[in-house]
Amino acid sequence: MPTTRPTTRKLSELLDPKFMARLDSLDLLSRKILQGKLQGERRSKRRGRSVEFADHRPYVVGDDLRFVDWNIYGRLEQLFLKLFLEEQDLTVHLLVDASASMGMGEPAKGFFAKRLAAALGYVTLANNNRLTISLFGDGIRAQLPNMRGRNYLPQMAEMLLATECDGLSDFEKACRDVETGRIGSGVTIVISDFFFKQGYESALRQLIGARYDLYVIQILSPQEISPELAGDLKLLDIEDADAAEITVSSALIKYYKRNLAAYCDELRNFCTNRGAVYVQANSADSVETLVLNYLRRIQLLR
Amino acid sequence: MEFLTPMIGLYAAAAAVPMLLLLYFLKLKRREVLVSSTLLWKRAVQDLQVNAPFQKLRRNLLLLLQLLALAAILLALTGPMLALRRGPGQRYVLLIDRSASMNATDVKPTRLDVAKKQAKAFVESMRGSSALSWRDQSDHAMVIAFDRRAGVVCSFTSDKRQLMTRIDAIEPGDGGSRLVEAVTVARAFAQSTGVEVAGGTSGKSAQLILFSDGRIADLDGVVVAADELVFHRIGDAGDNVGITAMSARRSYERPEEVEVFAAIENFGSEPVTRDVQLSISGNVHAVRSVTVPACEKETEDRPFRPGQTALNWSLSHGEAGVLQVRQLGADALACDDAAWSVLDPPRRLSILLVTQGNPVLESALKACPIATLDPCTPAGFDALDPVAFAARQQYDVVVLDNHVPAHLPPCRYLIFGSPPAGIDVNSPRGLENQLVVDWRAQHPVLQYVNLTNLFAARSYRLELPRDAEVLAEFNESPAVALLHRRDGTFLLVGFDVLQSNWPFEPSFVLFCYNALSYLGAQAGGQHQRERAVGEPITVENVSGGAVVTVICPSGARVDVKADPGGVVRFPGTHRVGVYAVETADQPRQFHAVNLLDSQESRIEPRSQIELSGVTIAAQEQEVQRANVPLWPLLTLAALMFVCIEWLAYNLKMRI
Repeated sequence: MPTTRPTTRKLSELLDPKFMARLDSLDLLSRKILQGKLQGERRSKRRGRSVEFADHRPYVVGDDLRFVDWNIYGRLEQLFLKLFLEEQDLTVHLLVDASASMGMGEPAKGFFAKRLAAALGYVTLANNNRLTISLFGDGIRAQLPNMRGRNYLPQMAEMLLATECDGLSDFEKACRDVETGRIGSGVTIVISDFFFKQGYESALRQLIGARYDLYVIQILSPQEISPELAGDLKLLDIEDADAAEITVSSALIKYYKRNLAAYCDELRNFCTNRGAVYVQANSADSVETLVLNYLRRIQLLR
Repeated sequence: MEFLTPMIGLYAAAAAVPMLLLLYFLKLKRREVLVSSTLLWKRAVQDLQVNAPFQKLRRNLLLLLQLLALAAILLALTGPMLALRRGPGQRYVLLIDRSASMNATDVKPTRLDVAKKQAKAFVESMRGSSALSWRDQSDHAMVIAFDRRAGVVCSFTSDKRQLMTRIDAIEPGDGGSRLVEAVTVARAFAQSTGVEVAGGTSGKSAQLILFSDGRIADLDGVVVAADELVFHRIGDAGDNVGITAMSARRSYERPEEVEVFAAIENFGSEPVTRDVQLSISGNVHAVRSVTVPACEKETEDRPFRPGQTALNWSLSHGEAGVLQVRQLGADALACDDAAWSVLDPPRRLSILLVTQGNPVLESALKACPIATLDPCTPAGFDALDPVAFAARQQYDVVVLDNHVPAHLPPCRYLIFGSPPAGIDVNSPRGLENQLVVDWRAQHPVLQYVNLTNLFAARSYRLELPRDAEVLAEFNESPAVALLHRRDGTFLLVGFDVLQSNWPFEPSFVLFCYNALSYLGAQAGGQHQRERAVGEPITVENVSGGAVVTVICPSGARVDVKADPGGVVRFPGTHRVGVYAVETADQPRQFHAVNLLDSQESRIEPRSQIELSGVTIAAQEQEVQRANVPLWPLLTLAALMFVCIEWLAYNLKMRI
């Protein structure tokens, strides 16, 4: 009891209990797994695990007859194959940007990202999927690999809350590290603002693969979407202290917004062209709406 | 081009130009703001710069403009001057009437203030020298204020501010109005400032602008061309009641009694009833209510006559004092509502008789109302110190009986017999058996004196100077003559009374009585104490170099220094009232200054004035500001434009 109470409080800082209750009914989906896998061809690499029944699939000519569920045939006179839990074993990699740029914004993008990561992590762990959560800045700053089960929820919450958004961002290095440690199949979700001066393309390319779905969630703060600046300013980049001297005028703001839209569109096109899914979120929006409505719509969650 | 203050410009340039350059090339202090990433901002700035290629040029253009503006200011500071020939424009002479009638309050506050206001409006509307046009000619004006005399208030100048200040400083006065002197002075000044153009003085003669009510006494003597004089009439109404004559005399027989005479005139068209008050030394003695009839307007048959009422008082006042006759009741002109007269204390004469013994003369003199008769021997008279005698003023009249004195102290003399030396009268020889053939019976000395039977067995032939008055004549020479000299007044009788039959005539006593009265009145000098406005006050017999204080009716004290001859002259009698003269050793003397001018009391303004040969009508409109300079408005508009431009610039910079 004494150990659970402080950690329960910590998770509740990220997700309130009502939201958690609704998350309980959700599950993650991986399209790659549901599509076109010949039944039975995949052998479980894990020996010694019990095979648990998970789901049914309609019989197609050529499937292995050993896995036909005869009870359903007896009842419905239709052939269905049994799908086993091992085959549904998703590995979810959450890559959360914890660089200094995520700490900006009102409300802070970083906190939004952590809440979103906590929600997705909760769904993953609640459904006994494998979760690896990585917070990156300049490379991977913190990582909890291969968590499975609800027991890991407090640890996840603690890591998320303890890590401050700080430091430079080296996205490429982080993606490389994640990719090398990636096993099995599943879903990779990257949560960031994607303001990478070195570019994101080569990094994201590494994350794209045959076995993992890639979901790109870009979080922007309202101040970045519609800046309210005025006068002669010297803008300092929070990460590398790069300075930009501007004299705010309506023309400048117009160009900025245009550039922002172009940047996001470019990212969206990159993702779409490579079969990844792009989601843009505003840190002023509610995490609940994003998770419960939008992510279900795009079939990340079910 | 000349530079009045070049060094100031150089110093300012040394300070200002580097500062301006520094401001431009120093980095602008910018506010630092943290952003998540400058990635997109930099792209936006690049886009902006690419799409606005004139940004840099604009910055340099602004710098250039500001440098030019700075250069213009610095150049202005060095005081550049362009020397051009510039002639005067139209010249005006403003004649402002400051006589007594201009103190009338029928136009508020007084007519003189309204005249000054109109004159100032005229000055403002003169064409001034414009800084933007080089060859333009500005108008010059001159201001002369006149009452009985003309005084130049401001000579020809185009400096409007100086003209206005001097016009404001014109003081009202109570004098009469005379225009001839003012026009003469104006013409004299107008001639002398002409720029010499080939062939003569500058062509245009000055135009005379007259601000007056038209009540000027000597208009006939003013000669002007028809369009040379412009007359602005000041004033509306003509109703006025004033005192136009006053005199106060002590009776000779009974010096304690005083007879006061005053005439009060009504210039309005309705009869008025006023209370007239007589007061002595501040105490009211009598108040009388009189009704003054209305005036008779001017028609073709008869001239203008004001309604007049005369007043008499007899009172007894045994001391010196100041008599004031005042008309109670307010009217437009206040300075003619009172008149003053200074009363000497009653005195009987004291006579010094220089004779070797003449009982006839003595008894005749004693019959006259005199205070003292002191007989004196001729030797005793010669032994007197003339300076001490004059200073003591112990005797009013000195009677010389057949004595030619060694020196004549200043006094009044009744001389029987041979005339004294030193008064321009010669007596070459004697005459015999002279009979009076003619005498001037109207003269005060010979009033009621009948000289028909006067026969002198022996007399002196008198050769008199030209200014002597001959009162009676023998057939060959003047018998009685009156002479005024600096040393005094001399009544000469050219024969010894004991050599004639005069003592048997009753006219002898009458003659002595009249002579003493006449000479004694001269001694009293009462008429010298009453003056018209503008006449100077003279006080004699003051020790030379002493300082006397004159107290004006307004209370101001003026110190005047006596000249070496012992005479004090105070010319500043511009207002009516009683002036007091204080000296160190003499008691306070009072001098009355009165207006007593029927011309001035008639305040009705004239709508046209008739100068000699020319009639000039008054201007219909008041002088109003004609030329309004527009440059202040334009400068204000320019300032507003600059402010709007600054606002627009700032707005463009914001979102």
